[in-house]
Amino acid sequence: MSTTRTWMLRLVGIGTFLLIWEIGGRILGDALFAPLSSVIKTYPEMVEEYQLFQELSISMRQLLIGYFLGCTVGVSVGTAMGRSSLIDGLLQPWVSMLFATSIAALVPLFILLFGFDLAFRVAIVFMSTVWYVLLNTYHGARGVDRQLLETARAFNATPLQTFRLVLLPALYPYILAGMRNGLAHAIRAMVIVEMYIIVGFGGIVFHTGLEVETAPLIGALVTIMVVGVLLTEVLKALGRLIAPWYERTQHA
Amino acid sequence: MRHLSLSEKSRPYLLFPMSIILGLSIWEIGGRSMSDALLAPPSAVLLRFMEMVADGSLPLAFASSVQHMALGYALAIIVAIPLGIALGRSPSVAAACEPVINAIYAIPPVAFVPFLIVWFGLYFEGRVALVFLMCFFEILINIHQGVRNVDRGLLEAAASFDLRGIRLYRKVVIPAALPFIFTGLRVGAGRAVNAMITAELFFAAVNIGKLLKNSGNAFDTASMFSIILSVSIFGLICQETVRFAERRLLPWHHQETP
Repeated sequence: MSTTRTWMLRLVGIGTFLLIWEIGGRILGDALFAPLSSVIKTYPEMVEEYQLFQELSISMRQLLIGYFLGCTVGVSVGTAMGRSSLIDGLLQPWVSMLFATSIAALVPLFILLFGFDLAFRVAIVFMSTVWYVLLNTYHGARGVDRQLLETARAFNATPLQTFRLVLLPALYPYILAGMRNGLAHAIRAMVIVEMYIIVGFGGIVFHTGLEVETAPLIGALVTIMVVGVLLTEVLKALGRLIAPWYERTQHA
Repeated sequence: MRHLSLSEKSRPYLLFPMSIILGLSIWEIGGRSMSDALLAPPSAVLLRFMEMVADGSLPLAFASSVQHMALGYALAIIVAIPLGIALGRSPSVAAACEPVINAIYAIPPVAFVPFLIVWFGLYFEGRVALVFLMCFFEILINIHQGVRNVDRGLLEAAASFDLRGIRLYRKVVIPAALPFIFTGLRVGAGRAVNAMITAELFFAAVNIGKLLKNSGNAFDTASMFSIILSVSIFGLICQETVRFAERRLLPWHHQETP
């Protein structure tokens, strides 16, 4: 299928969806499902009233702290587990257990452990990111070409040099895929936390949800969708910038 | 993987119990040095867990929670299978639907809760809707991939035998896509358990969610840990059940899927 045809079909799909939304919304009414036109009309008002972008930028800053902590720990522990069967065996049961743990279920517990402040929100975002990065890195590290490592050893590379110059480039596509997955889950976790304790962006979702009209709520949902898609694109662009030769392999 | 030696194969049997004992000891020492309101040690968690099982509160809560989970999961499968097959079989349908599906998938499911309350209320139906939403896309994406990647040779062979309609799907497409379908079902089962507890915390608090909230309000971390761990273990059991079913039904294809 040619790319122009694909793009045409995409546009048709999006157009049909928007049309169904508009017509469905008009039939159901603002209280049940606001049509596209009312969402657009009330959007500037909603942004003003709820200080949407200020709140969102504060939420995002907290998200990024937890996210980067999660990525750092995920990459280092994942590499260690992938390369050492001792560390792997010692951590594996706990990693599998924590990976299977519901983030929402941890929220009430983490409130007791960390309070309601920054540490709590960062901890939840961290917990939702780290396992995806860790497991992806781990699977990558287990499959690293032995010859590469033996060559490094033959050249008397220090462990740090081996990590930085051999392992990290080999793991790069896996780390990037893990980071992409982790980002989606970090955003979800942020919304879970903020809706639970009613602050920041999640608090806005909660409050707009209490309004009689659904237009502001849909506006908030569309905003977080756009932010999520943009952040993912930024991540992809960074990936291409750092290592353009991985363009095709990171297609996971 | 050829370089896996024998010692590495026997590794789990030696290291895993050690890991669990080591982790529990660290937790026990840490928990004892802190107040129970902050971090209960595993011995207290186990005791509390047995109490909750004995007085029936935890099993009863689970029995009720499983209902909305199972219904939401089943509905997600019923909708995802035909849609996933349609997407996988027709590149045009996929191109038209994918942007919209990706856009909805990019919205955190919990953010839909205020919406779901308006449509389905605070109780059972609302929870079912959230479970559906949280596992539907994972299942759909896997089935789509599976059907799209069905071996072209198989399809061509089927075409030369003039296999069409329902029989083409029953005999060729679905069997060939089954490993992916099972991966979707397994990941979906994990998400459904996750959604089960999420729904009970974000709609009206009931069953396990209520137990968890109440123990939080009472600063009872021993109960909280036993509830959270039970839910995690239940999630692992559900996923393993799907894996087991896959091995029984598709003995020719039980490779380790990530």
